[in-house]
Amino acid sequence: MNEERKSGLNRRSFLKVAAGIASAGAGMSRPGRAIAAGEGRLATLIDLSLCDGCADRAIPACVAVCKEINKDKIPPIHEPIPVPWPRKAVEDWSRRREVFDRLTPYNFIYVHRAEVEVEGRPRTVFVPRRCMHCDNPACATICPFSANHKHENGAVVIDPDLCFGGAKCKSVCPWEIPQRQSGVGIYLHILPNLAGNGVMYKCDLCRERLATGKLPGCIEACPRQAMLIGPRRQIFAQGEEQAKAMGGYIYGKKENGGTATLYISPVPIAALNATMKKQPGRPDMKAEQRRMAETDRIGKAVLQAPLYGIAAGVVGAFLSLSRRKDRRKGGEKDHE
Amino acid sequence: MSDRILPEKGLVVRHGIVEIVEHWAIAISGLVLLATGMFELPMANRYYITSLPGLGWSGDFIKALYIHYAASVIFITASVFHLLYHGIRGERGMLPQPEDIKTSILVLKSFFGKGEEPLFHKYLPEQRLAYVGMAVIIAMLILSGLVKTYKNLYAPDMPLTLVLWATWIHNVFFVLFILALAAHIGALVIKPNRPMFRGIFTGTVRLDYARRRHPLWIAEMDPEEMGRLPEVRLPEGNVSEGREAEAGDLDSLYAEIPNDGEDGRGGPAPKMRPVAEDPSELDKSESPPVPPSSPDTDAGDRENEQRDA
Repeated sequence: MNEERKSGLNRRSFLKVAAGIASAGAGMSRPGRAIAAGEGRLATLIDLSLCDGCADRAIPACVAVCKEINKDKIPPIHEPIPVPWPRKAVEDWSRRREVFDRLTPYNFIYVHRAEVEVEGRPRTVFVPRRCMHCDNPACATICPFSANHKHENGAVVIDPDLCFGGAKCKSVCPWEIPQRQSGVGIYLHILPNLAGNGVMYKCDLCRERLATGKLPGCIEACPRQAMLIGPRRQIFAQGEEQAKAMGGYIYGKKENGGTATLYISPVPIAALNATMKKQPGRPDMKAEQRRMAETDRIGKAVLQAPLYGIAAGVVGAFLSLSRRKDRRKGGEKDHE
Repeated sequence: MSDRILPEKGLVVRHGIVEIVEHWAIAISGLVLLATGMFELPMANRYYITSLPGLGWSGDFIKALYIHYAASVIFITASVFHLLYHGIRGERGMLPQPEDIKTSILVLKSFFGKGEEPLFHKYLPEQRLAYVGMAVIIAMLILSGLVKTYKNLYAPDMPLTLVLWATWIHNVFFVLFILALAAHIGALVIKPNRPMFRGIFTGTVRLDYARRRHPLWIAEMDPEEMGRLPEVRLPEGNVSEGREAEAGDLDSLYAEIPNDGEDGRGGPAPKMRPVAEDPSELDKSESPPVPPSSPDTDAGDRENEQRDA
């Protein structure tokens, strides 16, 4: 299958999905209204056969627009940044806001350049990386303050007003997406040296833009229309169809228990992953399992525990009462 | 209720095996929940708890969550069992009584050397109040924990308002649990309470302690025991203040009686009993019948009491 053909198929598919969503009156054109009307979960599709990394620009368009949209998200940093005790780990990106080749608190998306070899031919694939907005995101469910939450539309969003910056979300994310900025957030007002260490930042799927009926910045800005967003079912159907048509590969459907981001790749994901060395702010593309699944079985036992207690309590009480009754009867007989 | 006097051993059975197992199941699982809850804050890595021998796992939030879940299965099962088992059996000795707040203030004052503590049933009024406090804290922790667990398993996108309520109830009651636990352990610092300590391990307390401090409990088990006790008449004001002695009101009747000054504070224990204007009132109560006293004996004991005081 040649590239041109693949590209054409993608384009046609993209348009088809767009037309379908538009005709349904929900999704791409006005996703915010669709969400407001409770029309369900969204998903995004990133077609790696279309992304060219914006080779003609200094910064890829998706990255540039994301930076612009979120430039005021982080308030002024408290100076000096309190040094946490006893582990003295301050993370300050406020003087390196311009960094765009990795995830930082000031940069929620970056484009990885993968030089791969497919069937003996070298090929360059560009992979935009950002939060995958997982279906059951440990980063959100395990947040001790529920500062991070998966919303009904599928967007996993950190509330900067509630986040203490403990970086727990980053630890449990298989891609370590959330990034910390110290010296901001609620922890400054409580025990800045003893608890908390800033605020975690990451892509929020442009939740505010979606609410006003706009598309996420990266999707709107992509000159190749390599990304799209729409109702989850349609996007997934589109992704499957597109991958099948190009003889390509999907990433994000099953990883970490499933996500709301589908990568459609013309080259094997393993080949892309081989070009990625997991390091701070630069996730890889391993076939990640959902680690929280290890706790699901015992979690179900927790939900059943009240029933265990009821059963044991009722049985135990009636057994002991009947024993007491028997003893009394026995006593009466002895007495007689 | 397995309470009984073991005169030959000089002991009183205060807790049966069921209560002891319940207590320690809740206590040990509660401590594990407390520790793993702290690890989830997160705390372990920052405070180098991960460096402690055997606690390397504490920085792994998934492992800590697994242990938190496992402990909560025991915690929830034991708590629900406790409610139903004792509820069905009609054991309500730990439920607060009307005068408990007032009486417990007198008891607290007595701990600081102001006045004497009243005589007790099996439990101190403080214990009954603390029981309800701890029960509410545990109930809130369990309910909010169940919501959080359900969210983790089935509904990560559950309404944010509900998630925030569950989370913050869990967090606030976690702090209250720590305070309640500190108070629970701290109660043992108070010397007069210490003889009760062995009860939660062995199930028994010393009979002489129980006779001295919990005569109403002893009398419940053996009405003759109370009858054998020398009598002390209440100060007149106590009864004449407009309250007749009634069932369940014995604690308050005793509230102003000077205590024996024992419990390590020296002096033999004078035995006391409540005196109602109409002793037949007491006969109707759950408390044991008390023989009427003669004014002479009462007067004599009052003198003894003053001497001891």
